[in-house]
Amino acid sequence: MRKSLIIILTLFVVYGQSFAQIRPNEKLVYAASYNMSGLMTQLAQVSMETSILRTTKKSYLHLSLSAETFSKWDSFFKIRDLYESYVNPVTLKPSLYNRSIYEGGYYKTEKYIFNLDGKSINSTAQVKRFPISKQVVRIGANSVDAVTLIYKLRTVNFNALRVGQVLPMIMIFDDKEFKVYIKYLGVQTISTSVFGRKTCFKLSISANSNKLKGRDRNLIWMTDDARKVPVLIQFSIPVGTGELKLVSER
Amino acid sequence: MRKVLLILAVIFAVIGILFTVLPMGTIAFLPLGVAVILSVIAIIKSVDKQKNFPKWVLIVSIVAVLVVAGKQLFIKDKVAVDQQFKKEKIEKQQEAKKDLEGLE
Repeated sequence: MRKSLIIILTLFVVYGQSFAQIRPNEKLVYAASYNMSGLMTQLAQVSMETSILRTTKKSYLHLSLSAETFSKWDSFFKIRDLYESYVNPVTLKPSLYNRSIYEGGYYKTEKYIFNLDGKSINSTAQVKRFPISKQVVRIGANSVDAVTLIYKLRTVNFNALRVGQVLPMIMIFDDKEFKVYIKYLGVQTISTSVFGRKTCFKLSISANSNKLKGRDRNLIWMTDDARKVPVLIQFSIPVGTGELKLVSER
Repeated sequence: MRKVLLILAVIFAVIGILFTVLPMGTIAFLPLGVAVILSVIAIIKSVDKQKNFPKWVLIVSIVAVLVVAGKQLFIKDKVAVDQQFKKEKIEKQQEAKKDLEGLE
């Protein structure tokens, strides 16, 4: 009983600071670069947007993440990716997740409807012109989609964490659950084009999948303020390394 | 030795020019830099009568370097206005609204 109480209190301190820091009508724009022979080459623009969607009974926070290649790349390798999630504006609990990707001729759509029981999702997916596949996937109570996970990260109270402390999260992607580990690496002051020199929380992300490579090679710097805006993201994936730099915010 | 240097300089210059035309960004500096170095060495190793060709390789490489630098400095990366992608986003949102109402 005492142990459970301590766990609940810890979770409250870490996650419970304030969910309200994800405000609607926010737009963060990033320039994504890919490392080619040691030189960073700008490839695409990534936008993270929030808005409110009202249905007849409820309001949802619409979290959207889209990626588009710069026009100079469109003739060679066109990317039009859209990831979006509809979540509870207070708890960030997802109700619906959409993924629609077009990457150099390959396209795929995916939709998860999070069932009210909190233990399963109805997944619908289609790759290219192959038949639509539908299935019910069992998930844990705290599983979230990729978009929600990014925003949920922004609600964590990092001041309550020790340097080196690891925060586990569970993400559902491609109909599979992954454990994602967020390691808090302390604060660091970095130069940003939007905020100038800014003190940021530095985080390392790893997962029990082969989608992320290396130890402490997938890093996020989030501003050390109430909004926790991700200003720099460095990633290392099986096909190479790259980074996302914040270029504008609203 | 001079011939090998010249052949390599030409190969790197051609790769560099290709990268300059393609949207490879600063990566074009790599083959062009090598082409410049090799053509300079080739000029040094050549007797007066043979200096003309490596000089042209050097000039072409330097011009390509300037083009790449100019593209980096003056041409801003932009995303094309993609009406189809915009339409898809709107349709997805309408579809989501229906799905969410079905959940309630």
